[in-house]
Amino acid sequence: MNRAQNKDILIFLLSSIGLIVLPHVLHLHFAVFGFFCLLLAWRFVGIWKPEYLPTFPWIFLLIVCGTAILYIQHRGILGRDGGTSLFVVALGLKLMEIKTERDLYLINYLAFIVAASQFLYEQSILMAAYILFVCGVLLATLVFINSHVANTTVALKKATVIIAQAIPMAIVVFILFPRVEPPRWLLFNDRQEAKMGLSDTMEPGSISDLGTSDELVFRVKFTGVIPQPNQRYWRGPVLTQTNGKKWWQATDLSYLRNLDKVSYSGQPYQYTLMMEPQEKDWVFALDMPVDFSSPLQRNANYQLITSDNLRKRSEFKLTSYPNYNTGDLTKTELQDALQLPGAPSEKIKQLVIQLHGYDSKPKDFINALLRHFRQEDFHYTLTPPLMEDKPIETFLFETRHGFCSHYASAFVYLMRVAGIPSRVVTGYQGGTFNEVGNFLEIKQADAHAWTEVWLDKEGWVRFDPTAAIAPERIEKNIDISRLTQDGLIQFSAANEGAHAAFNFLKQARQLWGHVDYNWQRWVINYNTANQSSFMSAFGIKDMKTMVYWMMGFVGIITAILSLFLLYQKPKPVNRTLLVFNKFLKKLAKVGLTKNPGEGARDFAERIKPELPEQAETIEAITSAFIAQHYGSRPTEVKFRRLCRLVAAFKI
Amino acid sequence: MKALQLTERFGLDRFFLGERTLVNKPFTLNQRRIFILPTQRGLGFGVLILLLALIAFVYNNNLAYMLAFLLGSIFFITILHTYKALAGLIIQEGQATAVFAGEAAGFSVHITNPDAVERQHVQLKLKIAEHFNLKPNSKTHFILYDLTEKRGWHPAGTLTISSTYPLGLFRAWSPIRSNAKTLVYPKPASQQIPFPETGTTQNPKGQFKKGGDEFYGLQSYQAGDSIRHLDWKAYAKGLGLYSKQYGGESSAEIWLDYGHAPGQSLEERLSYLCRWVVDAEQSGLSYGFVLPGLRLEPAHGSAHFQKCLEALALFNL
Repeated sequence: MNRAQNKDILIFLLSSIGLIVLPHVLHLHFAVFGFFCLLLAWRFVGIWKPEYLPTFPWIFLLIVCGTAILYIQHRGILGRDGGTSLFVVALGLKLMEIKTERDLYLINYLAFIVAASQFLYEQSILMAAYILFVCGVLLATLVFINSHVANTTVALKKATVIIAQAIPMAIVVFILFPRVEPPRWLLFNDRQEAKMGLSDTMEPGSISDLGTSDELVFRVKFTGVIPQPNQRYWRGPVLTQTNGKKWWQATDLSYLRNLDKVSYSGQPYQYTLMMEPQEKDWVFALDMPVDFSSPLQRNANYQLITSDNLRKRSEFKLTSYPNYNTGDLTKTELQDALQLPGAPSEKIKQLVIQLHGYDSKPKDFINALLRHFRQEDFHYTLTPPLMEDKPIETFLFETRHGFCSHYASAFVYLMRVAGIPSRVVTGYQGGTFNEVGNFLEIKQADAHAWTEVWLDKEGWVRFDPTAAIAPERIEKNIDISRLTQDGLIQFSAANEGAHAAFNFLKQARQLWGHVDYNWQRWVINYNTANQSSFMSAFGIKDMKTMVYWMMGFVGIITAILSLFLLYQKPKPVNRTLLVFNKFLKKLAKVGLTKNPGEGARDFAERIKPELPEQAETIEAITSAFIAQHYGSRPTEVKFRRLCRLVAAFKI
Repeated sequence: MKALQLTERFGLDRFFLGERTLVNKPFTLNQRRIFILPTQRGLGFGVLILLLALIAFVYNNNLAYMLAFLLGSIFFITILHTYKALAGLIIQEGQATAVFAGEAAGFSVHITNPDAVERQHVQLKLKIAEHFNLKPNSKTHFILYDLTEKRGWHPAGTLTISSTYPLGLFRAWSPIRSNAKTLVYPKPASQQIPFPETGTTQNPKGQFKKGGDEFYGLQSYQAGDSIRHLDWKAYAKGLGLYSKQYGGESSAEIWLDYGHAPGQSLEERLSYLCRWVVDAEQSGLSYGFVLPGLRLEPAHGSAHFQKCLEALALFNL
């Protein structure tokens, strides 16, 4: 039977291949995906109408098409996208030519490679479960091919059993297989999809709709005390330069050696920070990071920068102190912190005079300005009007609607007009506490901008002008629950009932967040460093020992599996036969043995002449045995009688 | 079965031909008799695993690693499953019937599955492969044919039972070198030639010179009966197939002598002699048989027939 023409097998195989490639709809160029779908559909039709399948010249044409698509899309086959497209196109083309069982196998193997390529794009639990499921179907196809009588249920069951038995060993190897970082030359420089996130510039006037995304940026797990929500400022780029509209970082951040040493005090916070993949090399530490290790460096703005590639998830162990004093300013720093794009307008000057910016202590001016924000008609909104020209003035005197960037930039601008060194700090604020996993999740929506003012003897001090806005002027579409939870805005919420209703949902979400956190931490992010620290906890220090342990565990699992698979239950012994064998043994002593294949009756007839005195007993035993063993109604009484007879039998 | 010496156990011929010791008794396939090696597809699977591991390494992708390790474990575990496809089967070789050279000799093999699991897709091969599934606690029986060419003893050779179930990545096989053999008679000459007219055919009494043509009854047709003796009339009446039996078998005697057989070579002569024996038996003649060094008095019937054919098969071997 040619299995390559078996309809059931083909339907099974083609369906599983469809399932394997399906998630690539999100990653591959539509031409590649469309080309594959066309081929798959064609092959499906071919199951019932084999005459529609392409013949040689057509196949050649299709190969040319596929190559052209690959070339146009990626200009090559190296790298993640190129390689994936190559395998998907190859899989599609191979579908057109299924002649022998070997082709089925080749397609199956290609499908496994495409399955692995899914992980280069997404590594969530759901994707892993999905791929595991599809791999089960692919294996079932192999079972199907190797079965005498094709049966879907049997094949699926067998594949499931095999996978279930293989998982423990795979896990052991996964944990103990030494992870080695690939050499640099092997890394294909893939341009990753631009991740949404904080940028190193800020231009509040040109944004009319600040989208809030639930995308995770990083997670933090504290060992010990967790800071209060209003202490959770995760420091990102510090923007000192402005042209009145746009804010950006100072280009020279290397005046490190002129900086005063930071003195810090108070309760330290120790935590592990796990960054999701991102483009920038910023690590968002809690103000003020003090202890950090190798790939991390603190730049002149006290922001942590890593020299490592952050496109993968990475983990950092950090310690921060909430109370710190940065000391004196350097000349450059002072210059940067007072930089203005030109003389301020009269209106601005008037405002500064009105708030006693020129004639009071910096702290008094700051308080006056914050009070101004709170008492005047300032609104917090995520959809502010566009302020193309003179954004700060427009915001302060006309629109008075804005989000954190508007407030921070206006605040810093007014400070500088008053001659107080100040700057905008961007980063994230707050974070959702996951009660199940005991960690903080910081999402893209937590992005924030605040300010720092340099005060004599205190150094850089943080002020958050956004927190000064009156709560009743916060727009309805903003997630109030988060803002209140973060302590950004304090007011008595009247919607506690609604909170209770969402409690269950929240808990479920937190549980999922916890599972996902552990998945990311222990599975996805299990790298060289993780592995060696995990292994040394068990006293395994070097790679060699690790390999020995791996082999040992694999051996143990093999032994258990072999026992489990190969152990046969002892067959129930027929007691009648046992008794009869005893009788035969007695006869064997005098040299009378039953030939194999000789019936009990024939044997009895043969030996009777040899033992004339015992002929009667032999006859009785033989009849009793035959009646009990072959008879239709064996009884306990008959069996006892046979036992007695054999026991009494003596030669 | 007797335990093997260690050196014997690793003998290469065991690997290809099976046990050196031939057994007639039913035997169970166990770790001593079953060999396992990856198939070509299995090696391909190994390459696939390496490729996946390489992808995982280059992209430092743990889930791709996991997939590679999972497939690796599956590869490993398949060894056990494939072994299990054969282990425990009980094989017994049965009788083989004698054939004329050129015919296919059939060797019968009984296979018992004493376990509570179904055996999937087992292949049994002598020259032509047979595939079968074996239900739990059941038996099956096959006759495996092998073409014969020369007269004499024809050994069954090595019978191979194998399976690639479940994934086709490994092939478990057991070469069974059986001592089953069958006797192959010379091929009867295709050309019919008259029986030799020799003095020895003469009956001492001189009666019934052309004996064996007196009809005395009917007997139901048996395979091998001459077509010339069929009672066509009875068959046409729908009474069934009958052979006419002719009397006077004992009265007609011919001597089939190797010395009178035509032909150039030994084999050719034996072939003609064989044809005479077959023809004589079919026409119900009483025939004596002479080979150099052997003389069988004239007789008739299957026992005599067998004796003659055996002598022909084994002559000068």
